[in-house]
Amino acid sequence: MTGLLRAGVWLLAILVVWQAAVFLFEPPHYILPGPGRVAHRLIADYPLLLRHGRITLTEICLGLLLGTALGMSTALVMRLFPAAQQLIQPVLIVSQALPVFAIAPLLVLWFGYGLGSKVAMTTLIIYFPVASSLHDGLGRTEPGLIDLARLWHADRFQQIALFRLPSAVPALISGMRVAVTVAPIGAVVGEWVGASSGLGFLMLRASSRFQTDQVFASLFVLAVIGLVLRSGFDLAVSRYAAWVVETP
Amino acid sequence: MFHPSQTQPKDRSVKTRLPLLALAFSLALSLAGSPAFAADKLKVLLDWFVNPDHAPLIVAREGGFFERAGLDVELVAPADPSAPPKLVAAGHADIAISYQPNLHLIVKEGLPLTRIGTLVETPLNSLVVLADGPIKSIADLKGRKVGFSVGGFEDALLGKMLESAGLSLDDVTLINVNFSLSPALITGQVDAVIGAFRNFEMTQLDIEKRPGMAFYPEENGVPMYDELIFLARNSSLDDDRLKRFLAAVEMATVYLTNNPKKALTLFLKAHPDLDNELNRRAWFDTLPRFAKRPAALDAGRYERFAAFMKERGLIEKIVPVETYAKAIR
Repeated sequence: MTGLLRAGVWLLAILVVWQAAVFLFEPPHYILPGPGRVAHRLIADYPLLLRHGRITLTEICLGLLLGTALGMSTALVMRLFPAAQQLIQPVLIVSQALPVFAIAPLLVLWFGYGLGSKVAMTTLIIYFPVASSLHDGLGRTEPGLIDLARLWHADRFQQIALFRLPSAVPALISGMRVAVTVAPIGAVVGEWVGASSGLGFLMLRASSRFQTDQVFASLFVLAVIGLVLRSGFDLAVSRYAAWVVETP
Repeated sequence: MFHPSQTQPKDRSVKTRLPLLALAFSLALSLAGSPAFAADKLKVLLDWFVNPDHAPLIVAREGGFFERAGLDVELVAPADPSAPPKLVAAGHADIAISYQPNLHLIVKEGLPLTRIGTLVETPLNSLVVLADGPIKSIADLKGRKVGFSVGGFEDALLGKMLESAGLSLDDVTLINVNFSLSPALITGQVDAVIGAFRNFEMTQLDIEKRPGMAFYPEENGVPMYDELIFLARNSSLDDDRLKRFLAAVEMATVYLTNNPKKALTLFLKAHPDLDNELNRRAWFDTLPRFAKRPAALDAGRYERFAAFMKERGLIEKIVPVETYAKAIR
């Protein structure tokens, strides 16, 4: 509840500053539309925004599932087979170092203009934070626990599953927080380079039709999606991983 | 004039004075090279990266037509084709190159811009399919995928073309393929593309050994329009530079019509990176398209296209042509 209140206060503050800027500098509406104009768009284009927003949300969620699964498997494989680490690490780094925007047109040609390429883009963008955070987490188990595992003659797999993985959960959660926050970027970039629906497509079309207010309305929906995903994730953490305490 | 060499003491040797003399000489040369009066600066935003569609502008710059009109013209290619009108409206540049269909959207959204001239006076936009593909007529597009590069009005053109063949937009799937019109068509991701330029993409397909077949909007129900036009701010219409700019563009257009090969050499010298088969062939395909009277206005053409935009639901009302298109005199 306090979180909701805080968000409300922030939203109000942004609206006040925005309106003040529009009032003071009087920018033309095609450069910076006022909050009123954007609100009007949100209401008038509600069905349109909902339809495109739902598509973008689907892409984000599928990408999150796939990216998390791939990222976690990569981290586990790298820990289980140290030899594989040498091979995988460069690929992992390159996956993040390449600008998504540059390879997006290629991914679209390979995976088509439908859902596939957007999910691929989202997967790619969250793969690194998940894989690298879990990999780091798996490597930071308390030495005492590893000694304990050895005393109990735990094999490599048991050591990972029963000792390293539980201790890596806090690190994984950090990586997942980043992933959930940046996932919309992947989906929108995908829609930008080739799509027939989604918020990225809507923004591109609105921009070329000189409807800056609709661009802002789409951005607003995207921001809401981002906030909802993040709060949903935090809620899930507090429910299922409440033992991960943060020191105040 | 300030001559550094004259300020030096007389007893200095020639050896030490040589660089100073050279400096004075080059200074004098550079002064002699510039015109007697400072040329007026003019910033022009292109619609797209430099290509043969911009021939009159490049030739006007390289052939000294702008210079003789007392203009120092800077040509800037945008990162986003929809940006130039907004940038000119906001005062960041003087002239934007845009598309006539865009102008009607610009008027609807209230951007303070006026069409002051025409660069390319026929449509270039076309609906392209692969020549050896299954689509032989527009009617064959039923149930097919059509790629487009978001310009804001492609669905209006395509909708009208489909209706001329007894179909509607609901009979096809429209997919934004952004900058990859030719690749999307060649790889079979889409069955047709709208927004392909007949002078450029058609040549590109031919070079890739996958020749295309074009359906022209103006031959399939869409009224005739100017593909590329010049826009300026409403508040700057009395600016003398605009008049001189259009006169120089006119001179350059006639020059390149008279001397296409010499003009091509000028163009490629200024943009060596464009010296390839595609641009050389597109150059000659584009020549007949340029407006020979860039400053002239066919008000009826704008009226008819505005009526078309209204019919397609892209604009709500038709305003008098005089409010958004002028012939600068």
